[in-house]
Amino acid sequence: MLNQLKTKIILQIVSYGKMKNRKAQLKIKQMTFMLIAVTLFFALVGMFVLVIKFSDIREAATELEERNAMLLVSKLANSPEFSCGGAFDTPRLNCIDADKVMILRQHIEKYNDFWGVSNIEIRKIYPAANSEILCTLENYPNCNIIRLRSKEIIGADLSNFISLCRKEPYEGDYYNKCELARIMVSYEEK
Amino acid sequence: MRTKNKKAQEEMIGFALIIIIVAVILLIFLGFSLRTHQKELVESYEVDSFIQSFLQYTSDCAEGHEPNYASIQKLIFLCNRKERCTDERDSCEVLNTTLTQILEKSWEIVDRPTKGYELNISSGNKDIILIKTGNFTRNYKGSQQNLIIGGNPSDIIFVAYY
Repeated sequence: MLNQLKTKIILQIVSYGKMKNRKAQLKIKQMTFMLIAVTLFFALVGMFVLVIKFSDIREAATELEERNAMLLVSKLANSPEFSCGGAFDTPRLNCIDADKVMILRQHIEKYNDFWGVSNIEIRKIYPAANSEILCTLENYPNCNIIRLRSKEIIGADLSNFISLCRKEPYEGDYYNKCELARIMVSYEEK
Repeated sequence: MRTKNKKAQEEMIGFALIIIIVAVILLIFLGFSLRTHQKELVESYEVDSFIQSFLQYTSDCAEGHEPNYASIQKLIFLCNRKERCTDERDSCEVLNTTLTQILEKSWEIVDRPTKGYELNISSGNKDIILIKTGNFTRNYKGSQQNLIIGGNPSDIIFVAYY
């Protein structure tokens, strides 16, 4: 009888220990799940933050290029390398001396990275020509596109209206002739 | 006891999943909203520069003798004084034709972002030139230039609709 009681007590202790172990296991499982979920969550958030950051850096670079081009295109016509200055009677705003630009074109390699854009182009708008003729020293002024660098305009571009002036010969003399044109500044998209 | 624990675990996993899904959706929306930066179709500096530039355009109307060809700005003064070019053409007619052609070439409205434009040159209460073309949408950029014509304050107003 005493032995039976002892055995019963021992069995009860063992089963209590088993139950306690199971509870602990369950808690460990619970914690593992939570840890996995939290790690996954932070990993995902981190990944998205990184993706957005990197795309932002690229976008910011393009945006800076665009802003630079925009500021440049709105100011370029009044810079000393392009502006008419006092060559056409009175000082004029947004006036580009075409003769000066044609000479600048010949020495453009000295201006590499000076404006920080990939190319600058001047296109006559009015009077309009039937075809696009690139200006060279041989065909000038019977042309309608002055490209500062010989390469094509690539990437995005921004443009602004300008007055393109030159000295036009007339019966052994010269007079000021101004036409309407657009100055185009191109920048590379990152 | 077992079923209670299992239920709690399932709830926790569900909660974690919901948090993750919501966070991902929020981040995607945030990413898209940050990326939607659009360039203006017509920039204000373009409209400003356009007036400055067309005023300097050398027309084919000579004043007094050739080759004293008048600029558009001079042509506005000539038109206001009802003067004629050396070849007897009406200065206002030359001004109107030249400006119409300049506008057509500079602000093309077919298959372009520009939907219409309006140019008004007035002196006092009198309209010297009024050119309107295309649709006048709610998006527009405009610029104004002041001149003194014949002692009267005059305005050159250009509006581009896009």
